[in-house]
Amino acid sequence: MQPETTTPPRPAHMGDVAVLPPGALPEARPATSARELAADFTRGIWRENAVFKQMLGLCPSLAVTTSAVNGMAMGLATLVVVAMSNASVSAVRNLIPGSVRIPAFVVIIATFVTVVDLTMNAFAHELHKTLGLFIPLIVVNCIVLGRADAFACKRPLPRAVCDGLGAGTGFTLALVVLGSVRELVGFGTVFGVSVFGAAYPPFLLFILPPGAFIVMGLMLAGVNRLQSRMGG
Amino acid sequence: MAGELALIAVSAMLVNNFVLARFLGVCPFLGVSRKTESALGMGAAVMFVMTVASLVTWLIQRLVLVPFHLEYLQTITYILVIAALVQLVEMVVQKTSPVLYQALGIFLPLITTNCAILGVAILVQQKAYGFLETLTFAMAASAGFGLALVLLAGIRESLELAFVPKAFQGNAIVLVAAGMLSLAFMGFSGLVRG
Amino acid sequence: MTRLVLALMVVCVIGAVILAGTDRITQGPIAEQKRREIVRSLDSVLPPHSNAPDQDTRVIRPEGGKEMTLYLARRDGAWVGTAMVVTAPDGYSGNIDVMVGIDRAGAIAGVAILAHAETPGLGDKIITDPRWLPALRGRTLDNTHWAVKKDGGDVDQFTGATITPRAVTGAVRRALEICREYCG
Repeated sequence: MQPETTTPPRPAHMGDVAVLPPGALPEARPATSARELAADFTRGIWRENAVFKQMLGLCPSLAVTTSAVNGMAMGLATLVVVAMSNASVSAVRNLIPGSVRIPAFVVIIATFVTVVDLTMNAFAHELHKTLGLFIPLIVVNCIVLGRADAFACKRPLPRAVCDGLGAGTGFTLALVVLGSVRELVGFGTVFGVSVFGAAYPPFLLFILPPGAFIVMGLMLAGVNRLQSRMGG
Repeated sequence: MAGELALIAVSAMLVNNFVLARFLGVCPFLGVSRKTESALGMGAAVMFVMTVASLVTWLIQRLVLVPFHLEYLQTITYILVIAALVQLVEMVVQKTSPVLYQALGIFLPLITTNCAILGVAILVQQKAYGFLETLTFAMAASAGFGLALVLLAGIRESLELAFVPKAFQGNAIVLVAAGMLSLAFMGFSGLVRG
Repeated sequence: MTRLVLALMVVCVIGAVILAGTDRITQGPIAEQKRREIVRSLDSVLPPHSNAPDQDTRVIRPEGGKEMTLYLARRDGAWVGTAMVVTAPDGYSGNIDVMVGIDRAGAIAGVAILAHAETPGLGDKIITDPRWLPALRGRTLDNTHWAVKKDGGDVDQFTGATITPRAVTGAVRRALEICREYCG
């Protein structure tokens, strides 16, 4: 399910190859340096941000960002899943035959999603009710399977975890930004704290579904503009 | 009963349109809406898989998960069922109808990760629908998805001829157009009266 | 081939075991959370009571309707009120689940909205407005014409949002009618 983007289908993998010295296979590399780990982490935050740069995981990004808090909760739930699934996939990467790796990854991801789902239901009940359907739907979030297949299944555990944490953080930040903008314009608050004062008349369009599409479109245009100014 | 089913159908197709109001299946909505023709193909493929998948998962829930108290395996079972089903449908269609395969074939693999399919299967359980209600809900939901897809494709075909500021080129303008479409669909709320 | 099946089987079994464990741990807290949610709503709509209404229930089957549960509130053993959940099917964007508490005299003791999908900022004013739901307290089938003012009744609506109050008003009236027949 690759949406039509201007970037090639698997930019994450290509970007990664660039940091390796010429001729070195990822598998053959010995110990991982701290710098490499840092690069794995930061890559997912802006340069290859899942939402703004790769247009992945749009369903939850649009659906739950009616407030900054909801966006953050959804982002963190996804972060936990992508970090844990990356870790597990990397740990078993030499035991799973290539031809059944996708179904195996899906089972691993679904397991962690259910763990998060049940845990939130038990200990963060209200939040679980608000996010509702979109918690189990993390299973089909392309970010999670994408990171597992494009990165984690070819890398040692520490790098896979850092990559997962980075992708998850990038996703969380994107959702918090979207949620904050919609909450700010819609209700005049951010994280429930009043910014424009109590007299601010609610601008409902931004809270309603059409607002999600429009804000996302405007922000994407903003990202494009920023990128062309910085020269890519 | 018939009235209830009609209510479910109108609500799932128009008032709570899967893409435009519930944000299920946004990725294929943006990804496969460049041409009306491919939008139609994707819509048909989704309709087929969604209806079959929701009925199969409904049966599994009733016959396996609930009797054996395995509700916590819901997500994992559903996604495996959907993936297997898509494979099966692909093989059957390929063998039996080359024409249909040509029309739908390339869309089928994309459907496994379409969150609208898993979404319908889970929603049906949350709403505690019966068999007929599930059938109606799935068909109407997928019809609504197809409708939104074809409408957006129509808009995008016209957009190709229009001037678009540089920053908005690509997905940005498509999202704004989708927002307008969603706004138009909001006019359907209040349509359903008890 | 055997290796493929084996590998997949092992992954599935490990996944299932992890989930069974998680389910065991979370089952109790989830049930407790759900119970607390019901108790909180019951406490907010029923007159002061000393029993646990969520355990003191009666199932009835009104004519032409589905089975429903009555929650009975007692104070020192004496019945003081009844609560029930009714669904308004005619909300602006779907069903609205309403919990209605009714005292011995057949007057509204409290109303709580359990679930709804109304437009934020418009239809959901019935919840966010601090006056609307409490204004229903004390009303009975006899002292109130159960319709919104726009329809010639006694219940306030909101500017720009008539449908949601109308739906909730209808649901509350139905609860009162059911209660007249089955409560006590």
